Amino acid sequence: MRIVIGEGSCGLAAGAGGVHEALQKLVDHDNPAGIELGITGCIGMCFLEPIVDLYDNDGELHRLVKVQEKHAQAIYDAATTGDLSLVSKLLISAEDEEFLSKQTRVALRDCGVIDPESIDDYIAHGGYAAISKILSTGMTQEDVIQQIDIAGLRGRGGAGFSTAFKWRAARDSQGDQKYLICNADEGDPGAFMDRAVIEGDPHSLIEGMLIGAYSIGASEGIVYVRAEYPLAIVRLTKAIKDATERGYLGNNICGSDFSCTLRIKAGAGAFVCGEETALIESLEGKRGMPRLKPPFPAQAGYWLKPSNINNVETYANVAWIINNGGEAFAAMGTENSKGTKVFALTGKIRRGGLVEIPMGKTLREVIFDIGGGIRGGKEFKAVQLGGPSGGCVPASKLDTVIDYNELSATGAIMGSGGMVVMDESTCMVSMARFFLDFTAKESCGKCVHCRLGTKRMLEILDRLVQGKGEEGDIEKLEDLCYAIKDGALCGLGQTAPNPVLTTIRYFRDELEAHIRDHRCPAGECRELISYSINPDACVGCTACARQCPVKAITGAPKQAHAIDQDVCIKCGNCKTACRFGAVEVA
Amino acid sequence: MSITYTIDGVNVTAEPSDTILTSATRAGVEIPTLCFDARTAIYGACGICLVEVEGVPKLLRACSARPQEGYVVHTDSPRVERARKTALELLLSDHTGDCRGPCKLNCPALTDCQKYVGEIREGRYKDAVSTIYQAFPFPASIGHVCPHPCEDACRRQMVEEPLSIAFLKAFAADKIEADGDPYVVQCEPSTGKHVAIVGGGPAGLTAAYFLRRYGHDVTIYDKQPKMGGMLRYGIPEYRLPKAVLDREIKIIADAGVQMINDVRLGKDLDFDDLRQRYDAVLLALGAWKSYNMRVPGEDLEGVIGGIEFLEQLGLGERPTIGERVAVCGGGNTAMDCCRTAVRLGAKEVYVVYRRTRAEMPASDVEIDEAEEEGVTFKYLTNPIEFYGKDGRLTGMKLQIMELGEPDASGRRRPVPVEGATEDIAIDNVLMAIGQGANCEGVDGELLTQRGTIACDDMTFRTAIDNVFAAGDVTNRGAGIAIEAIAEAQKAAFCINNYLEGDEVRRKIPYFVTQEVTPEEFEDRPKQNREKMPGLSPEERRGNFDPIYFGFSEEQALREASRCLECGCHDYYDCRLIRFANAFDIDPDRFAGIKHDREEVPVVSEVIVHDPDKCVLCGLCYRMCEQEVGKTFLGLYNRGFSTVVNPMVPKEAREFCASCLKCVEACPTGAMKSVPAVERVTQIV
Repeated sequence: MRIVIGEGSCGLAAGAGGVHEALQKLVDHDNPAGIELGITGCIGMCFLEPIVDLYDNDGELHRLVKVQEKHAQAIYDAATTGDLSLVSKLLISAEDEEFLSKQTRVALRDCGVIDPESIDDYIAHGGYAAISKILSTGMTQEDVIQQIDIAGLRGRGGAGFSTAFKWRAARDSQGDQKYLICNADEGDPGAFMDRAVIEGDPHSLIEGMLIGAYSIGASEGIVYVRAEYPLAIVRLTKAIKDATERGYLGNNICGSDFSCTLRIKAGAGAFVCGEETALIESLEGKRGMPRLKPPFPAQAGYWLKPSNINNVETYANVAWIINNGGEAFAAMGTENSKGTKVFALTGKIRRGGLVEIPMGKTLREVIFDIGGGIRGGKEFKAVQLGGPSGGCVPASKLDTVIDYNELSATGAIMGSGGMVVMDESTCMVSMARFFLDFTAKESCGKCVHCRLGTKRMLEILDRLVQGKGEEGDIEKLEDLCYAIKDGALCGLGQTAPNPVLTTIRYFRDELEAHIRDHRCPAGECRELISYSINPDACVGCTACARQCPVKAITGAPKQAHAIDQDVCIKCGNCKTACRFGAVEVA
Repeated sequence: MSITYTIDGVNVTAEPSDTILTSATRAGVEIPTLCFDARTAIYGACGICLVEVEGVPKLLRACSARPQEGYVVHTDSPRVERARKTALELLLSDHTGDCRGPCKLNCPALTDCQKYVGEIREGRYKDAVSTIYQAFPFPASIGHVCPHPCEDACRRQMVEEPLSIAFLKAFAADKIEADGDPYVVQCEPSTGKHVAIVGGGPAGLTAAYFLRRYGHDVTIYDKQPKMGGMLRYGIPEYRLPKAVLDREIKIIADAGVQMINDVRLGKDLDFDDLRQRYDAVLLALGAWKSYNMRVPGEDLEGVIGGIEFLEQLGLGERPTIGERVAVCGGGNTAMDCCRTAVRLGAKEVYVVYRRTRAEMPASDVEIDEAEEEGVTFKYLTNPIEFYGKDGRLTGMKLQIMELGEPDASGRRRPVPVEGATEDIAIDNVLMAIGQGANCEGVDGELLTQRGTIACDDMTFRTAIDNVFAAGDVTNRGAGIAIEAIAEAQKAAFCINNYLEGDEVRRKIPYFVTQEVTPEEFEDRPKQNREKMPGLSPEERRGNFDPIYFGFSEEQALREASRCLECGCHDYYDCRLIRFANAFDIDPDRFAGIKHDREEVPVVSEVIVHDPDKCVLCGLCYRMCEQEVGKTFLGLYNRGFSTVVNPMVPKEAREFCASCLKCVEACPTGAMKSVPAVERVTQIV
């Protein structure tokens, strides 16, 4: 039997490291059945971590979920004896299996399947076949780009620009030296698909980049990874070393004339460095601030040489396209948006994690069929797409098809694939404020519109959530939004108003309630709400009083309790603690 | 290969290396920018150079966008103007400082006091006088008589006493005259337009001076034998020597202004004829009529209007007055009257005023000097009756008053103390409680109920198309000379617009201002203001000799050196304030939190950076990096907190050669080189 532990950052954070250690100890002590212990990357089922996969001697997979250290003995026993009833309680439910079975995996094809630290495992799963095919069959640069073109691959980082177009532009650009850059500075709050790819399948990124480098004529590739992804850096470093040793990187790759090296640059954590020109500035050792375009990186990029930048997920699709042909990729999706897209499903969702689906599915299918709908029996309110550059899409738009153009029409964007699901208890004004706070802080400070415009917008939103809004604030916000869209220098600034604009478009009544009635309909804005205990519902269990950090709740046991409004800090602990629904928010 | 395109209808040829900005500049089309400098690489931060290209959905940054064959570019479309305005309004929403000091801002004519005081300090007296001439043409006269609102606002009083700004002004003008190097007015080429001005007082003369500068022909008509109006006929010789006034009027006449005296509107001049013969008419008639007191006995012989009294004197007559004279009123005209009475030999001179000294509108210095000259101030008294014998005044009854609740003007209202009266024996009463206009000969439809001329204070137009009005005669009423001058200056601007066929309405200039507290000046060494040398009170009696001798050069230099230089050193070169005014921005549109940081030495004691004036155009650090090849400056922090700072302060202090390229490139007053004098004191 083989035991494979899911050890992406998410699994490790949930305790996979401890489970691994405990199993290792048992196996090291005595291993009569010859159990093999291995690791894999993130399978994407965050809500079930840590996950342990048991492969029986027939190669059949038995997936164990929410595994804890204390389960190690049972797993060891089951693996040793082959008696799976010992771990029957840990086996994934049929319902949860749907989370995976309803997906179509291209970019994530080997994530959570192979050992990310083993180049052999990657090769055993068909890895490096695409680059070998290109080099051995003499595919020209144009042949390769044509496949990408047929596939209709568009940038998965956010803007959705045609990959083939960019590659051609970089190839056609004159220069003694060209660079291929991977943008792994995944900064949108709630997006983590790129991390999953690097941690779970780093060679697929390397292979995709090799194909890109070959296509544009680059001999050097750079992966710009944010330093907050230490595990990704470790695994990618090892993968680069292994690939170099095997001759997939370096001089005369696979015995051909094609030579290419790859290196990692760790980014210091500025969100704006995910903007391609700011990323290039940062690569050059400068402060990460966007450059004006044109010239585009394809003309004058890194050190003003022709450069191509794509993000991780884009590259992760490339080898698959070469192996299966552009048509196979284009067969999935819609007219404008081909292939699959990975989404990071988070928020008030029952089953959160990484979801890869063909374009053309609806938001409803992702959120309800795969994600299982809203947690805790509450109502769906909105889904935030595209992070700080995106917007909130309301329930009425749930049947919107996942497609670059369709999503843009809602006011949100495809973005890098962040999908934050919100329920009725989420205040949309506060949500817009959250994203504006993010962009205002992450603005590089270079251009006036972004530096000062987002600050002024944030000040207005701050006032609104404090109940200090004034008539005309919505108009002032709109005014600023359009001014910033028109005047900001880079994509970060130009899209920063989107969360506010969609809030105004779909949730104007909520904004107005904050301004006119100084009321937060969702009951989230602290300055606008108060907690009280309904004496008829309160049984006097004292649970709330014990959870109150400021001792604002008084009342004898078995008597109705009361909250002292002058002391209450509105933390909401009492409401969470009450099992009788006696704590009310108004 | 070069391409051609149009920008605002102008054909422009561009080389492949050109951007829209560079090619437009060459073609003479100005595109405003704060962050572009040809010596550095394109940066694109300020967002002011945005232009609209037909068929291109987004606005383009002219500093970076390459023109394409056939482009139709607009730099003045409503969308472009809105976008530029927004960028400027955002910048100014976080711009803290004083464009100009409170002295200038408190001067009705916006005279740049800080500038000419600085020029005096540097011994550049001619430049100082030129600076004053940008605001009005009476540096010496106004320097002698102005109640100086500039000094009231002067921040030096937070240290000890305000700067003696008015006397410095007179000093500079007197000095260049003494040096035999008088000011000469430079005029634009003739426009062929002709303006008639009725009234040759401070307003009429000022308007004539500006209109002449604009290139128009100007004729002034005045009812008196000589030009000067109230400056000549309202202000006694001891305060303003007429030789000084004559000198300054001559400079205006020498500029080509025609001056015709002894003609009276409605008598020698016909109003309708005037406005038909001239392209424009400015009515600057002044206010020559003392208000009556509406007290019984006013018609008695010996009761005289204060203005009429002073006018007689100005005409060279010596009014006959008795030994006991009472002046009613508390303004500067009342002071002129009582002090003139002293000089004419009156033995007992009273000033009757119904409130106390604290409420008195006259300047403190005038009251002090009147007291020195022996005038008795009867505060809290109000005349209720003049009485006499045989039609000749012999005395007056005064009602004793006390101060009650504040009235609309904020001053405490005087109320009678019941039954308390006082009688004083007097030979003359001079009424100086205010003055009104006499608009005889002016079309009745132009007048207000109060008999002044109604005009719009943003255009100075009256109800008749080509007729304008300014000065004491307008609805604002009589005020101090500099107020009339200020109106005339603005009216001349509006008249010029009218004659040029432009929008007549003037704009109110915008200045960035800030509040300061005395604490900020705590470490300033104290240095009191210079004392003006002059006649002793005894020497002043019985003659009209000028009472002040004027500052010596040493005094003037010492006094000028007291200036705190509140206004930004870069005001005249600042692109931000120029654009802000050009685009008519609303500084409060995006009002929010403003930074209030310390001015910090950035690279050495020579270069100082004020982050609150910084627009983060990056020119300072880019010049350092790209022109000088050093990296002494750089950006710190993100978002709203972004700031320019030395990258490695120690290294900058040691190795910066203070080439000042950063200072010179800065489009605002954020980068400043400390003058050598101050550097020395700092090091000491």
